[in-house]
Amino acid sequence: MATISFDLVSPENLVFNDEVGTVIVPGKDGDLGILPGHSKVMSSLRPGRVMVYSEDKNLIKSFFVSGGFVEINPEKCIVLAESVVEVNSLEKTSIEKEIQELENKEGKESEEQLSAAKAKLEAINVNYYDKI
Amino acid sequence: MPSLKDIKTQINSVGSTKKITSAMKMVAASKLRRSQEKAEAARPYSSRLEEMLSSLASSAASGEGVIKLLTGTGNDQNYIVVPVSADRGLCGGFNSSINRETFKLVKSLEGNGKKVQLMPVGKKSRDFFNRVMKDQIIESFVDLNISSTGYESALNISNKLQELYFDGKFDKCILVFNKFKSAISQEVTQQQLIPLDVSNSEKEEEKENSSNAIYDYEPDEETILKDLLPKNVSIQIFKVLLESDAGEQGARMAAMDNATRNAGEMIDSLTLKYNRTRQAFITKELIEIISGAESI
Repeated sequence: MATISFDLVSPENLVFNDEVGTVIVPGKDGDLGILPGHSKVMSSLRPGRVMVYSEDKNLIKSFFVSGGFVEINPEKCIVLAESVVEVNSLEKTSIEKEIQELENKEGKESEEQLSAAKAKLEAINVNYYDKI
Repeated sequence: MPSLKDIKTQINSVGSTKKITSAMKMVAASKLRRSQEKAEAARPYSSRLEEMLSSLASSAASGEGVIKLLTGTGNDQNYIVVPVSADRGLCGGFNSSINRETFKLVKSLEGNGKKVQLMPVGKKSRDFFNRVMKDQIIESFVDLNISSTGYESALNISNKLQELYFDGKFDKCILVFNKFKSAISQEVTQQQLIPLDVSNSEKEEEKENSSNAIYDYEPDEETILKDLLPKNVSIQIFKVLLESDAGEQGARMAAMDNATRNAGEMIDSLTLKYNRTRQAFITKELIEIISGAESI
């Protein structure tokens, strides 16, 4: 079976770079499942999970991204994310605390942070896409 | 004539200076490697972003909202100049060349009847412009420590700039920074940050169009562009900060290397002087003894 090359890039470093079977990214208008030979697409991302699968559809890694962009062509998929955390390393209690703190604040900036934190929490809780 | 003891103390003090400068050189060298790695690691992101931006730039038809970051305000009366210097000295001409260049730029812009404001980054340029053009500084950023804080501090600067821009406080933003050429040479560079300088990205666009088919955009080109432009500003600042950091370490390394070598030369010449004086002293004593013995 074919593979597609997948890069996950944050401003500070190259987080992930390998040949993979499938990638699922949180596109702004809905999740995008990317298989080898995907047509050319450029999309912006909402906060959510980027899931990486091997050729035989086993989940290799899942990351939380706080937004960014994806560029897809038949051979390559590149995700430019502003902040990248591996989902396994996120801690539920500390995020819940962050949400509580942010809820008491006002202003546009903390609102954005709040929605990102909520998305983070959701990323830990949900388990769909774990098996495809 | 200095006594033997005086010369001895002088040699010792130059010796300890030499120790300090050579230690600073080593520290700078190891920091340089780290900063260089950081700068390298940031490159894929910024180059991808630039590619995406250049393929989208053509769709910026209207000059409303965020798109203004690309098209400009239509004026060029108010400038903001951002000199990027280091927080610390002892790195040769690194800081003073930034300050001099910025000063020249500001004067020439003012000579053309523009209004210029300053937003220095780094202690050394802040202190300098606090002395010479205090009332033109609107904000300053110091103690960024870019190699440990990373992207966050670049984001702060970029947010502040964009806030001012959309308030109509300025029309053009120019960065003045040390471009990292190699470990021993830096080049003072001016880069126009806002509105985005498309002259070189246009070239890339042609290249891209010839080699690539057209992309599908989701949601649509304009929405993506609106997300992309503010990020591009931050990432450009981030890149500049990293380059300047690497340049600073390189400049310090070179300066300290020179200082160490100078101290070595100085010790050599002082030692020579010490030995000569000692010899002259002995000769003098001998003459005294001999002439004393003769007179008896």
